[in-house]
Amino acid sequence: MRALFTAAFVLLALLGAAPQSVTVTAQVLDYERGWLFITTGDGFRVAPDAAIVWGNPQTRDFARITFNAQGVVTRIETSHKPLPQEGDLAQVHQFSVALSPAAPNPELGAPPPGRCGHTRAGKRVGLTITVQVPPTTAATDSVYMTSDQSAWNAQAYRLDRIDALHYRTSLSMYSGTVLRVLFDRGSTQSIQLGQNGIEAKPYLLCIGDEDAQAFRVVVYRWGDEQSGQTQQIPQALPTPYNPAPFPNLPAPAPRPTLHP
Amino acid sequence: MRFLLPLTLAVTAFLCCPPAEALTNTSGPAVIHVSGRSVRFYYNRFLLEADGAVRVTTSQGMIVTGDAFSMDLKLNRFLVAGHVHVVNASGSQDGAALSDFLDYNRIYFVPIVQTVDASGRDPAVPDRWTFMNGDFVHPAKGREMPGDTFEFPDLGRSKPFLLAGAATVGARSYVRFEGNRIDLLNGLGAYVPTPSYYVNFSDNQHLGANSLAGASYDATYQFAGNANSISAVHLRNDPTNGTYLSFEQHVSGPKTYAVFSINPMTKPSKYFNLLLSDQPSDTFQLRTFTTFHTFQYGLSQPLESGQTTLIQATQALPHSFLQLSTTLTNYDMLAPKPEGYDGHGTLPNHPFSAQLNWQGFTQRIGKLPLYEAVNAGMGVQHDVFGLQQLGGVTYSSIWQHFAGLELFVPSLKIGNNPADTKNYYVNAAFQKNRTWNSSGHYTDTALTSGSLSRTFDRHFQSYIAYAVNNTGDYYGTMQNLAYPSYVPVIGGVPIYGYAAFAGFATFRTLSLDLTYGNGSNFSAYVLARKHNDFPKPVPGLFPAPPLNVIGQQQYPYYLGQPPYDLTLDVRARINAFSAIDIARTYYFNFGNQRWSPGFVIQVTQ
Repeated sequence: MRALFTAAFVLLALLGAAPQSVTVTAQVLDYERGWLFITTGDGFRVAPDAAIVWGNPQTRDFARITFNAQGVVTRIETSHKPLPQEGDLAQVHQFSVALSPAAPNPELGAPPPGRCGHTRAGKRVGLTITVQVPPTTAATDSVYMTSDQSAWNAQAYRLDRIDALHYRTSLSMYSGTVLRVLFDRGSTQSIQLGQNGIEAKPYLLCIGDEDAQAFRVVVYRWGDEQSGQTQQIPQALPTPYNPAPFPNLPAPAPRPTLHP
Repeated sequence: MRFLLPLTLAVTAFLCCPPAEALTNTSGPAVIHVSGRSVRFYYNRFLLEADGAVRVTTSQGMIVTGDAFSMDLKLNRFLVAGHVHVVNASGSQDGAALSDFLDYNRIYFVPIVQTVDASGRDPAVPDRWTFMNGDFVHPAKGREMPGDTFEFPDLGRSKPFLLAGAATVGARSYVRFEGNRIDLLNGLGAYVPTPSYYVNFSDNQHLGANSLAGASYDATYQFAGNANSISAVHLRNDPTNGTYLSFEQHVSGPKTYAVFSINPMTKPSKYFNLLLSDQPSDTFQLRTFTTFHTFQYGLSQPLESGQTTLIQATQALPHSFLQLSTTLTNYDMLAPKPEGYDGHGTLPNHPFSAQLNWQGFTQRIGKLPLYEAVNAGMGVQHDVFGLQQLGGVTYSSIWQHFAGLELFVPSLKIGNNPADTKNYYVNAAFQKNRTWNSSGHYTDTALTSGSLSRTFDRHFQSYIAYAVNNTGDYYGTMQNLAYPSYVPVIGGVPIYGYAAFAGFATFRTLSLDLTYGNGSNFSAYVLARKHNDFPKPVPGLFPAPPLNVIGQQQYPYYLGQPPYDLTLDVRARINAFSAIDIARTYYFNFGNQRWSPGFVIQVTQ
């Protein structure tokens, strides 16, 4: 019995005396001149006799880092692949070394300027876009969204007709995404105009961090609409003037479209 | 004629070769040049990554070398890490990492500073410096930095779209690569070498304006460009022309832009297009579109040559705008020859038309769910060879006056359920246009349409719609002269019903549509329509109106439309960059026509 107590005492004494080590996993920013830097920007002193497993850490590598009680790195296990998360990087920040004392940054408290300043970025958000088109839009027309995310490709996102005057599409995007969009009928000549007939400026869309977001737009006029005139389209000369309002009357026929 | 081709080539050569930006030029977007043993571009995320002997030069005069480089082109910030050495106007410094937030004018730096300790040794110690507003002399030392300042993006297993040795980035504008390999199959890693590659990601939509016709497939290779110009070659395919190459040059300034194209460039029937736009103020815009067509093999003597120019000037007014449009066409620019050129005839007409249109804004009528818009104007058509013959008179000029009215009810909700999927919506529209012509007639077009729609859930939606289009050509006492009654005979069968047609047609269309959508990855719709028209469609009586180059119908209403049609359209995303759209219509064996002549297929990127 006494031997058991003695053994327990010795074990407790040994554990208490053993140096407390901390282990974290992180991505490597740099390793040089006896310092290891990780992507938090923290630099840690590496013990001269530190054990380095699987080769010297390179930038972009992942590492399992062990610190001794003094905050010195004693072991580095490197990997080219991400490692399971281990430890708390905020906790080891206390071991980082910097020549200058930490100073507050008043800019960090303020939300970044811009439309997405208050948005928590990186969340998948459902975005529903509904466009009200002018009544002149033919029943068979396709409507598309063009944006700076698609190098202004006029057919990047097709919308589906949902009734006589509306088209709609649903997209899944990351919150915090900022995009500029316009709507068209499949060509850059048809990109929507403003109500004043002048080319419209793109809508600025910020994807917020709500689960779902809706965006409604009214298109007043398409760029390829012209009252009372044959539409000019690329890769074609205009068809000759037709005084009849029917493009394909039977031929030959006695009709007023006779070209002299 | 021959002088036009050298002129075109000279203009092209002038436009396509923008001078390289000087790295010290601080006007325009910041320019960053990066080189390394491996420079990679991930198009789907707009990430530019480089590794091995990285060297970064900025237009601010900073040179940074290191082991790795990472730039998020959309966030407009870059990171250099590993054995970093920075040289700027104030000197040089070693460090572990440097991150430049270009939009905020902040450079965050982790230097490794040589110090002298009590024992006289000179250990290197890390620090944290922030350079603000380009001031390299007075860094803010120890200042707290944003949490993700030095983070690399998680690239997972994604393959880069492009591999190169160097890249030039115009901040928030473009990235250009030289001596690179691009992944032809967009994500599958089938790399082919190209001499250069350019990607524009600016918010200037005018650099994306194109002057090409539609195509079933268009692979664009942008081989040169900067913040204000793009030079591109297109590999295209359409049912009309087959597979061919086209060239396009874009130039854009703050208020003006121009697009020049040759399409198709490798087929005898070539169209040289020039699109110009100038917007000197927020209330005035001038746009022109010129097409010059030749039929020629290579650069040989053309067998056909024609030209048309559209000039459009728009002046915004309070609650309305005024638009002047003119079209000048020269159907043949070759010397007239009765026998034509190798079987290609000549057409001497060179018509001119002009319209001045006043268009009012859309206004709500009182508090009703009803909106209106009106327009009116005048115009002239002229062709010295004549436009119309009627009653023995040839009209070479026809003056026109026109007026139009639109009334519509958008989204009138039927039901009051808070769940949108439980309600129905009614939309209705009425349009009437009348054009008076100095040749003794006026034409009326009235379109009345309405729909009832419902969204069932986030995938399915449907509508039923009915539309009536009345088109009439009114000649008064000359009606029988303009539209004399006659009985056409088709295949030996007299069509008596057509004798009742006197220039007044009615197109009635009942439509039922069901749409399925799954985000932007997949969508499909089926549209069933029943047409009840007058005059009745008879197979072989009415010539089929021309389709566009990809086989789509251009006219929403035309004589002889099959009474029933069923269209199925499927659009699916192939990968992060491309989608395919396939459509075909079934005509229920009308005139032995079961299916539309071909699938309408479009691959978009």
